[in-house]
Amino acid sequence: MIEPFLRTIGISKSFPGVQALKNVSIEAFPGEVLCIVGINGAGKTTLMNILGGIVKSDEGEIYIEGIPVEISNPLDAEKYGIAFVHQEMGLFPTMSIVDNMCISSFPNKLGIIDYKLAEERCESVLKRLGCDFHPRTKIHDLSPGDQQIVEIARALLGERRLIIFDEPTSSLSSREKTCLFEVLTLLKKEGISIIFITHLLHEIFEVGDRLIAFRNGEVVGGEMIKNITYKDVIALMIGTEETRSFFGCRTPKVVGDLILEVENLSRRGVLYNINFTLHKGEVLGLWGLLGSGRTELERALVGLDPIDKGTIKINHNGILKTIRHRDAKKWFGIITENRRKDGLLLPMSVKTNISLADLRKLISRVWPLIDTKLETELSKKLVNRLDIKITSIEQQVATLSGGNQQKVILARWLLSNPPIYIMDEPTRGLSVEAKSEVDRIIGELAESGAAILVISSDIDELINLSSRYLVMRRGRIVAEFQAEASKSDLMAAAAGGNHE
Amino acid sequence: MVRKKERLANVSITKNDKVKVFGQARNLIVTRRVADMRVVRYLPFIVVIAILIILGLTVPHFLTISNIINILVQASPLGLMAIGISVVLIGGGIDLSIPSLMALGGVFGAIFMKNGGNPVLAGLIMLAVCTLGGCVNGFAVGYLKMVPFIVTFSMMTVAMGASLWVTKAVSVGGLPQIFIDTVLAKIWGIPVIVIVLIFITAVATLLMRNSLYGRWLYAVGINVEASRVSGIPIARLIFLTYVISGVFAGLATIITTARLGAGAATIGREGVVLDVVSSAVVGGVSINGGVGSALGAGIGAIIITLINNIMNMMHLSYYITLVAKGFIIIAVVTLSSFHKK
Repeated sequence: MIEPFLRTIGISKSFPGVQALKNVSIEAFPGEVLCIVGINGAGKTTLMNILGGIVKSDEGEIYIEGIPVEISNPLDAEKYGIAFVHQEMGLFPTMSIVDNMCISSFPNKLGIIDYKLAEERCESVLKRLGCDFHPRTKIHDLSPGDQQIVEIARALLGERRLIIFDEPTSSLSSREKTCLFEVLTLLKKEGISIIFITHLLHEIFEVGDRLIAFRNGEVVGGEMIKNITYKDVIALMIGTEETRSFFGCRTPKVVGDLILEVENLSRRGVLYNINFTLHKGEVLGLWGLLGSGRTELERALVGLDPIDKGTIKINHNGILKTIRHRDAKKWFGIITENRRKDGLLLPMSVKTNISLADLRKLISRVWPLIDTKLETELSKKLVNRLDIKITSIEQQVATLSGGNQQKVILARWLLSNPPIYIMDEPTRGLSVEAKSEVDRIIGELAESGAAILVISSDIDELINLSSRYLVMRRGRIVAEFQAEASKSDLMAAAAGGNHE
Repeated sequence: MVRKKERLANVSITKNDKVKVFGQARNLIVTRRVADMRVVRYLPFIVVIAILIILGLTVPHFLTISNIINILVQASPLGLMAIGISVVLIGGGIDLSIPSLMALGGVFGAIFMKNGGNPVLAGLIMLAVCTLGGCVNGFAVGYLKMVPFIVTFSMMTVAMGASLWVTKAVSVGGLPQIFIDTVLAKIWGIPVIVIVLIFITAVATLLMRNSLYGRWLYAVGINVEASRVSGIPIARLIFLTYVISGVFAGLATIITTARLGAGAATIGREGVVLDVVSSAVVGGVSINGGVGSALGAGIGAIIITLINNIMNMMHLSYYITLVAKGFIIIAVVTLSSFHKK
C-alpha cells in the first residue's frame, strides 16, 4: 500500500460553545484528488485552518509522510509543502503577475529585487500549468479564470506536495472551470496530493478520486467516488434521519394577497432573470449555497446595489404597480447579513437606533424638531414587545449581546412597519435562545400579515420558518418548493446535480 | 403548536435568568465607560474654565466684563467657521476651503461697497459667494462621490488664488462707515456679533441634536452603510453639510471684513484653516465623524482664541504659535484615540 502524504489522527477542536471538530482522522495520498464535502459549519474550514497553521487543534496528531509534525503557523505549513488556493482571491489587481506570485518571497540582493530571476521562476511555473502569460501582465487585465490560475501558480511556487483548494470554482465560468480541472489532472500526474473542497457536488464526480463527508465536526463517511452516487453524497452530508422541524411541522397557511412581483431582475455577472412573487403572511425561504447570489439578490432587490434590468411591482392599496428601483427602500424592512457593519449605529443609544428608519414620522407638529417624547414612548413599547434586555433605552447598542442587537434592528423595522421584510441571516452568530426568540418574532410578523423573505445558511432554521422555498444557484433561481419540501430536496437543488 | 409555545416559554425563562447575571457585569463596564465619555465630552469646558482661572489670577483686568466681551468678539468669526466645519466633520467629511472662501467673499463684498454698492447687498454678496463655493464642494462630494479632502483642498487653492488675483494682494479698504457700524453695533453694551454668535450656536446645537437632518447627520457619520439601509438620503445630506459650512463662512466674512474695515485675501491664510480645524477638534468634534456638537465647536473656538491671545501677550512670534497649535491638535487627537481603546 502507498504511504499517505498526510495523515491526521483524532483531531479535535472546540471554540467557545461549539465543538468544531471531533476526532477527525483523514489521509491524503499522493497523486489523488480528495474531495471534502459538508454543509456550512460542518467543520471543513476549521480542519483546513489547522492544516494551514492558522488555528491550533486541541487534540490529535498530524503526520507528513509518516513523520509526526507540528504545524503551528503558516510558515510551518509552507515548509512541509502544503499550499492553499482560496475561494476569495487574494491578489493585488494593480500589480503584475510576477509581483503577485513572489510577493512574500522575492529573490533579492540587498533588498533590490532580482526581477529577472523572479520572472524566470514564474514563467516556469506558469508553463507547467500550460499558460503563456507574460509575468509582467497586470492582474486586472486577466479574466477571473486566469486570475485563479495565477493564484494556483503562486501556490505552486516552491516545492509543493499538497495543495488545498477551497471552493476554487465559485467565481469561474464553465469554460474556465474545465481549464482548472485540466490543471488539477496535470498536478495529480506529478504526484501532488490535492484536497478539493466544494459545495457543487457534480464537480466531485468530474475531478474527484475519493470523498470524505463532514457533518457537525465529524467524519461521517469516506468512499471512492466511483463507488457512490449523487444521492449517497447528499445523504452523507445531511444525515439519514431527516429531523423535521424543531417546532413540529409548519402548517401551510392560507396565503394572503400578492404583495411583490419581481420580473427579470438582472445584474450582469451576478443575477440572471430572477422572477418570483411574494404574498402577505408568507415566509419565503431563499436557499442557496455560499456564492449562489442570495445576498446579491437581496441587495439588488432593495436598491442597495444597482440593477441592469428588471421590474419590481408592489401591491399598494390593491393596485399592483411598478416602482422605481431607487424608491425600493421605502417598501422594505431590511436586515442585512452583518448587523455590526451595516445595521447598527454602535456608539448610539438603543432609542436612536430604533427610531432611525422612521424619523420622518416622528417630527413634532409644532417644531421642525423630532418629538423626543413620542420617540421615547414608541421605543419603550417596542423594547417591551420584543423583550429586549437593556437597562435603559439610552444604553449604547455596542454594549448589548448579539441577540438584543438583532432585536433592536427588528424593532427599527417594526416601528416603520413596511409591508415587506427582507432578512439576510437574521440569526447569524446568536445563541440558541436568542435564535429561537428571533425566529418566533419572524413567525409572529408573518402571522400579522407581513410578507417576509428569509435568507439563511442554516437549513434547519430555514425549514422551521418558511412556508415556501426558492433555491438559487450561480445567480439564478433554479427551483421552487412548497412547505413540504425536505432538506434533501433543497440540498440537491442548490448543489446542482447530474439528474437535472 | 402547543408544544412549540411551551417550549418557547421555557426557553425565555432560562434566558431571563442568564441575562440578569451577565447584564449586571456588563452594566458595571457600561457605567465606567460612560464616565470616561463624560470626561472627554466636557474636556473643553474644563479646559476653558482652567485657563480662565489661571488668567484671572495672573493677568490684571482679565476677568472684567469688557475683556470677556472683547474675547468673545475676537472669537466670533472663528466660532462660526468652527460650527460650519463641525457639521461637515460630523457627517464624515472635511472642509479645508472655509477660510479661503471667507477671504474671497469678503474681497468681493468690499470691492462692491468701495464702488458705491449698497452695504446690505454687499453682505448678501459675501454670503452668496461663500455659499456657492459650499454648493460646489457639496455637489462634488455628495453627488459625484469625490474625496472631500481633494475637493475642498482644490477649492481652497482656487478661492485663495482668486482673491489674491482680484485684489493683487492688496487689501480693499474704504468701506462705508454704516456697514462697519451696523455689524459692530452694541445693544445694552453687548455687541450684536456676540448675541448673534450665542444665538446661532444655540440654534445649531438644538437642530443638530433633534432635527431630522441633524439626527441623520450623526447616523451617516457613524455608519454610512447602516444609514443607506435605513433609507437616509445620504447624497443630499452630505451636499447640505458643505452648503451649511459655506453659509457659516459667509457669516464669518461679514464680521471679519467689518472688524478689519477692509476686504483682504490674507484673512484666509493657512493658519486660519488650522485654527478652524483645531477649534472643532479641541471642542470634541471627532475627525472620524459622528461625534461632536456646535456648542463644543464654539467653545473650542474660544479656547483657540485664548491661546492666540496668551501667545500674543507672551510676545511669541506668529510662527511659534503655529507650531504650538499644531501640537495641540495632535495632543487632542491622541487623547481621543486612547479613549477609543
